[in-house]
Amino acid sequence: MAETGRLIAPAAPPIAPVTLVRVAIIVFVLLFWEAIARSGLLFRDVVPPLTVIGQALIALLAETDYYRHLGVTAGEIAIALGVGGVTGLAVGVLLGGSRLLARAFEPYLYYLGPTPKIIFFPIMIMWFGVGPGSKIAMGVISCFFPLALSAAAGMRQIDQVLIKVGRSFRAGTWAMVTKIYLPAMRAPVVNGVRLGLGVAIIGTLLAETKLSNRGVGFLIINAYSTFNMPRMYALLIVVFVLSIGANALIGRLGGVDQIKRA
Amino acid sequence: MAVTRLADQVPRAQSAAPILVVDDIVKSFETPDGTVTAVDHISFDVAPGEFLAVIGPSGCGKSTLFNIIGGLIEGYRGRVAVAGETVRGPHASIGMVFQEESTFPWRTVVENVAFPLEIAGMAKAQRIERARHFIDLVGLTGFERRYPAELSGGMRQRVAIARTLASEPKILLMDEPFGALDEQTRLLLGDKVLAIQHQLKQTCLLITHNITEAVQLADRVLVMTYRPGKVKRMVAIELPRPRSSEIVSSDAFGRSVAQIWGDLREEASRGMRDDERHIAEHLS
Repeated sequence: MAETGRLIAPAAPPIAPVTLVRVAIIVFVLLFWEAIARSGLLFRDVVPPLTVIGQALIALLAETDYYRHLGVTAGEIAIALGVGGVTGLAVGVLLGGSRLLARAFEPYLYYLGPTPKIIFFPIMIMWFGVGPGSKIAMGVISCFFPLALSAAAGMRQIDQVLIKVGRSFRAGTWAMVTKIYLPAMRAPVVNGVRLGLGVAIIGTLLAETKLSNRGVGFLIINAYSTFNMPRMYALLIVVFVLSIGANALIGRLGGVDQIKRA
Repeated sequence: MAVTRLADQVPRAQSAAPILVVDDIVKSFETPDGTVTAVDHISFDVAPGEFLAVIGPSGCGKSTLFNIIGGLIEGYRGRVAVAGETVRGPHASIGMVFQEESTFPWRTVVENVAFPLEIAGMAKAQRIERARHFIDLVGLTGFERRYPAELSGGMRQRVAIARTLASEPKILLMDEPFGALDEQTRLLLGDKVLAIQHQLKQTCLLITHNITEAVQLADRVLVMTYRPGKVKRMVAIELPRPRSSEIVSSDAFGRSVAQIWGDLREEASRGMRDDERHIAEHLS
C-alpha cells in the first residue's frame, strides 16, 4: 500500500501551470516580434530582428561608459526614494495621526498626486540645475505622494486595540511610533514604497530624457536621436529587468510574505 | 435609591485595606440624541488577592468603567485609587487585558509577552527570561517562537494575559477576555486563570456579561443595572477555593447563578426593549 501510495502521490510538479503560461506569453511576444521584423511590413530599423537587438544588448553590457551612466541614474533614484520616502512617511504618519491635519492637507495631496510631475521639471531645473539635482528632485516629488497617502491610510487602518495596549503599558510617543504604529503599518508602507519606486524611476528617467548629459535616460534619448534603434531597445530591456528586480527586492525586504501569512 | 442602599450592605471578602477603590464614578457622553449617562455613581472596593467580577447587560457601561479604571478615558466625576494613589491615566499597578484580539501579529509569542518589559527598558536577556516564566505560567511553553497567526484564539488570549502579567500589575483588569471563545474553551481557560490567581495571589477585576464565568471565578459579583449603569447588588459567591470548572454542576453554583440571573434578567429585558424601540424608531 505504502508503495502504491508513493507511486500515485505526484512529486510536486517541477513547473507550476501559471509559470508555463507566463513563459508562453513571453515566447509568443518574442515570436510575434520576430515575425513582424522579418515580414518587412514595418521599417526594419523600427522593428529590428531579435538577433540584432541581442547583439546590441551584448555590446551595451560590454561598455564601461554604460555602467557610469547606470550608476548615475541608480544613485539619483536611490537618493530620491530615500528623501521622498522619509518625508512621505513622516507626512503620512502626521496626517494619519491628526484628523485636523488630514482634513486640511489631504485634498491637496489627492489632487497633486495624479498630476504629471513632469510639468514641474522646468522649475526643478531653475532650482537645482541641469545636473543630477533636478533629476533627484523629480524623483522625490514623484514618490512623495503615493508614500504619504499610503502611510496615512495605513495609519488609520491600525487596530485601535493595539494602540490601547501600548497606552496601557505607558509607552511614550517614540515607543508608540517605532514599536506599534510603524510595524502595524508595514504592509501598506511597503506597498507605498513599491508604488513610490515605480514613479521615482519614471520621474527620474523622464527628466533625464528631457534635459541631461548623463544617465540611462540620456543614453536612451541619445540612441533614439541618432536612430540607433537596436541600442535603444537594449537599453529599454535593461531598464525593465532592473525595475522588476528592484521591486522584488523591496517586497522581500519588507517581509510582505510574512504579513500575508499573519 | 433602594438600589444603592442594597449595595451598601455588601458583604466584604476580606477586612484588609482595599487595594483598589472606585469612588462614586459618573461618566456621561454627548450623543446626537442628547446626553447619555453610561456610568452613574458607581462605588466599590477590591481587597488584596480578591477576585471581583462586574456583570451587567450589554449597554450598561461596563466597558466604559473598564476604560476609566484602566486610565484610558478621562473627563469623569469621582475617583479611582490604587493602593491609596489616585489614578490619572494608565497606571503601572493596573494591567489591562482586552476583549478584542490584542496580540501584536508581527511579534512572536515571547516578543509579545516581553513587550511591557521592553517599554520599561529592561535588558533583552533579562526580559526574555521573565517572559518565558509567564509563558510557562499560562501553559504555552514550546510556542515561544510562534507568531499569533499560528495559534488558536484561546492561545492568543493566553498570550495577551501573559503579556499583562509580565508587567506584574497589582490588579489584573480584564474586559470579557474570553468573549470571543467557545463555551468549553472558556471554562478551561477559567480554570487556568483560577490557578494563576491562586499561585500569584493576584488581585483580579473581571468585567463580563457571562454569569457562569463570573460565578466560576469571582469571590464577589457586582451586578450593574442597564443604562444608566448603577450598582444593583453585590453578591458574595460562597464557593470553596481552590476551585475548578467542575463546580459548575454543584447546587451551590446553580443557586448563585440563579440569584444573579434574578437580578440581571430585569435589566437585560430593559436593555432588549430599549434596543427594539430604537430599531423601531429608525425603521419608521
